[in-house]
Amino acid sequence: MFHYHTLWTLIAVSFSAVLSAPLNATPPLHEQIDALIEVQPGFDASAADPADDAMFLRRVYLDLGGCIPNATEVRAFLSDPSPEKRTQTIDALLASPQHATRMQYVLDELLMERRSGKHVAADEWRTFLRQSVLENKPWDALVRELLSADGSQPETRPAAKFLLDRELQRDEVTRDLGRIFLGRDLQCAQCHDHPTVDDYLQRHYFGLTAFITRSYLFKDPKTGVTSIGEKAKGDVKFTSVFTSETAGTAPRMLNLPPLADPPAEKELYKVKLEKNVRGVPVYSRREQLAIAMTDDANQAFRENIANRMWALMMGRGLVEPLDMMHAQNPATHPQVLELLADSLLQHDYDLRDLLRELALTRTYQRSSQAVENRTIESQSLEDRTGDVTAEDDHHYSVGRLKPLSPEQLAWSMMQATGVIDVELAETDSDATPIDDAVQKHIETFAKVFGAAGQSTQFDAAADQALFLRNGNLIHSWLTVKNGLVASLQKLDDPQLAEELYLRVFSRMPNEQESSRVADFLNSSSDRPRAIQQLTWASLVSTEFRFNH
Amino acid sequence: MRRNQGCNSVEHLLARRQFFAGTGAAALATGLSQTAQAAPPVPTDPLMQSDLLKKSGKRILQIFLQGGVSQLESWDPKPGTKFGGPFRAIPTSVPGMHISELLPHTAQRMHHLSIVRSINSKINDHRKGMLYMEKGRPTGDFPYLGSVASKYLAGSDAALPGYIHISTRGLNDSTASFLGAQHAELKLQGVQPPSNLELPKDLDEELDAQRESLRRQFDAQFSRRRSNAQLDNYDAAFQQAALLMARKKIFEGGASEKDLARYGTHDFARYCLLARTLLENGATCVKVTHHGYDSHAENFNFHLEQLGEFDKTFAMLMDDLHDRGMLDDTLVLVCSEFGRTPKINTKYGRDHWGTAWSTVLGGCGVQPGAIIGSTNAEGTEVADREVDSGHLFHTYLRAVGLDTFADHDLPGRSIPIGDPAAEEIGELLS
Repeated sequence: MFHYHTLWTLIAVSFSAVLSAPLNATPPLHEQIDALIEVQPGFDASAADPADDAMFLRRVYLDLGGCIPNATEVRAFLSDPSPEKRTQTIDALLASPQHATRMQYVLDELLMERRSGKHVAADEWRTFLRQSVLENKPWDALVRELLSADGSQPETRPAAKFLLDRELQRDEVTRDLGRIFLGRDLQCAQCHDHPTVDDYLQRHYFGLTAFITRSYLFKDPKTGVTSIGEKAKGDVKFTSVFTSETAGTAPRMLNLPPLADPPAEKELYKVKLEKNVRGVPVYSRREQLAIAMTDDANQAFRENIANRMWALMMGRGLVEPLDMMHAQNPATHPQVLELLADSLLQHDYDLRDLLRELALTRTYQRSSQAVENRTIESQSLEDRTGDVTAEDDHHYSVGRLKPLSPEQLAWSMMQATGVIDVELAETDSDATPIDDAVQKHIETFAKVFGAAGQSTQFDAAADQALFLRNGNLIHSWLTVKNGLVASLQKLDDPQLAEELYLRVFSRMPNEQESSRVADFLNSSSDRPRAIQQLTWASLVSTEFRFNH
Repeated sequence: MRRNQGCNSVEHLLARRQFFAGTGAAALATGLSQTAQAAPPVPTDPLMQSDLLKKSGKRILQIFLQGGVSQLESWDPKPGTKFGGPFRAIPTSVPGMHISELLPHTAQRMHHLSIVRSINSKINDHRKGMLYMEKGRPTGDFPYLGSVASKYLAGSDAALPGYIHISTRGLNDSTASFLGAQHAELKLQGVQPPSNLELPKDLDEELDAQRESLRRQFDAQFSRRRSNAQLDNYDAAFQQAALLMARKKIFEGGASEKDLARYGTHDFARYCLLARTLLENGATCVKVTHHGYDSHAENFNFHLEQLGEFDKTFAMLMDDLHDRGMLDDTLVLVCSEFGRTPKINTKYGRDHWGTAWSTVLGGCGVQPGAIIGSTNAEGTEVADREVDSGHLFHTYLRAVGLDTFADHDLPGRSIPIGDPAAEEIGELLS
């Protein structure tokens, strides 16, 4: 497989060469993005400074590696004088096994909404996703596998999870094909053309249904294993509850032309469907689904994943909600969305390449803290709910706060408290599955902090706060042998503050922060206890809870 | 925009309470208390309203029959007609008012309640129908009824979160919208106490308070020149957690044998007993979801079973609210996302129907024993006094004293509390 990151590293290294290239040469994607973002009226007045090194490092570690950096990595980065260090870090992270783990979680959340195993075990699925990211399988290739695999052979079982674990329920699969791969929640169009969204038509819904309506779950009577069979016939009809008109449709991708079945051959089946025999037709509509979904003509397919990758990095989709893409809900920056989607097409749906370009933008690398004492001309003072305004948010002129996903939060807390070093002491190769104990902790976090599906919405809840305040797990991490609290106990005040801030906040404390830590410790009669309280408070603070 | 119509102002409600203060709680809920009195204008600034309302002690109990209860098997029976189904209508404690025989206990408490039989909400989708009932608007990003109640009725010194939802299904809904996270629903998983209510063994309250104060110091510094909505949301969760920890006794012990004997031993009975306790202990809006009304097949068996659970439990809860003198200050709603089709399908089921359905409300000064509107003989359309979920939303909130034609006052914008395209059902409010 061709490795784009080597190529891009070369380009980045010879940056000045690019600048001096002929004017008609296309600038790299990240520059094109920044140009479109920064051209907005009033942008300059409100644009935040570039994130400082520490802020950048934490952010990019979380987004691309799924976990905060450790103290050694922070120190090394802060003292590295190289002007290329940000690009180098992005490339190193994208090439690392941690990136595969990070994307495994992202893709599981997107595709299976963290379901546990029904027909395909969760660990087989995780391994499949992880392996797919490690080999940088293009998005279209991955989706083709998911939609065409029938699960009859051991090697295709993980890929068949998408359909198998939804029990091939017609309506559930139809809705999820629309939401997850096309960015359109067509649920309302099941019963009628959408009353308020002109773009969502009943034939879109049933056009997707028509691809899968012939497929069914087949349980092998001998092995008890469930796989997917398909009939050679079967069409969908639908009736509008509004107009009572009945219509039918061939398989189709939204407004793209419907796909007529080929003229019927004499023999309809490769393996004839019988009782206890899984049917395999000569012409498979489900195979057509995999092809039509990922076809270059299907603009919605690449706009959806472009929007989701943007949301992953920037904290909000260009279209929000992520599964409501339609004409009446346009992108905040339509040209950016088009640019990203085109780039995916040109680069064979290489998500790693897209993430790299997004990470290289000034837009991504902007501070989450608004500039001090700025004047905002376009708004009255009353219009400002906080120090960062809704307009800043809309313009991407200030870096957006992103709540850590449950997996990021669990990994990062284990990293900060030193639990991860204990648990993962012997894990060093790409192929090693995640340690059982770590996996269990992550699942606990997913249960408490998880929501279904990729979303940019943040809803903190009381049970989460109770878990952080009183839960045994967090408490045990504060008292773990050789952990953070234990090592802080051995340090004097100035070193203690530095170590705490480096390990928890991934940055150096400023003078005021150091002296506040010292004041607190000195005012306490029970120093070991006070260190524990200080550590707890930093771990549950907003600075830790958000990627900023 | 209309304002100040009707006479359900805060002052009026307060005056009425003072007027009846000496007459005993039982008399308050008998429906005799509809004094007509000229009302001074309602303050149009919702914050001013809110100060008065918070002192008024008004509460909301919301019972949501999830899936869409059949109006024909509950509040608007049509026995002997084409679509009427097998059940009879029975008389109630209100002369001339009949409801389904599936609700014999409730029938005896209808003098506390009123029926709206003429809802045409035009929505047949579960989620959209529910959102319309909760937000009072057919679409758009608005707070739920419970979040509005929390904002304007719950004082800052409230002993419990302002909006508590008892249900064991579904994810947390995003309910507060622009009102802020402290008014979002707190979801309780049935009668299970929230996990982790106890401090870790080696911490006492003083140490806990110290570490909380440290947490807030960290956060105060981080929030400087940053976007605050999400940060506030996070802090609100800690505040809710603190309220729950302080009131954890509420969840201890569970229901008494005596109460269970009256209410029933099923989950819904236990949820309603918890709701009673929460309302008595300072909750402002409690929502209980009773699941299982989506009867596309076997509609009649389903309703026999579901309403069998609902009926006695709900009747006992009404008795208790009344006996404890709470009904005068507690608005009681029994709602659903839509009704069910008059036409019976081939599986003896009824499908989704937003075209002509019913709901029930009472308490808190709502005119008791009334029937608002009607459907035609076969129940297929609204015949008289058509209303939608927007009208109901106005009605609910005006019953607790909020001027729903006033605006939510937000930084830089004003958003009407109720849908300006709808209005309250005035004849229900005295």
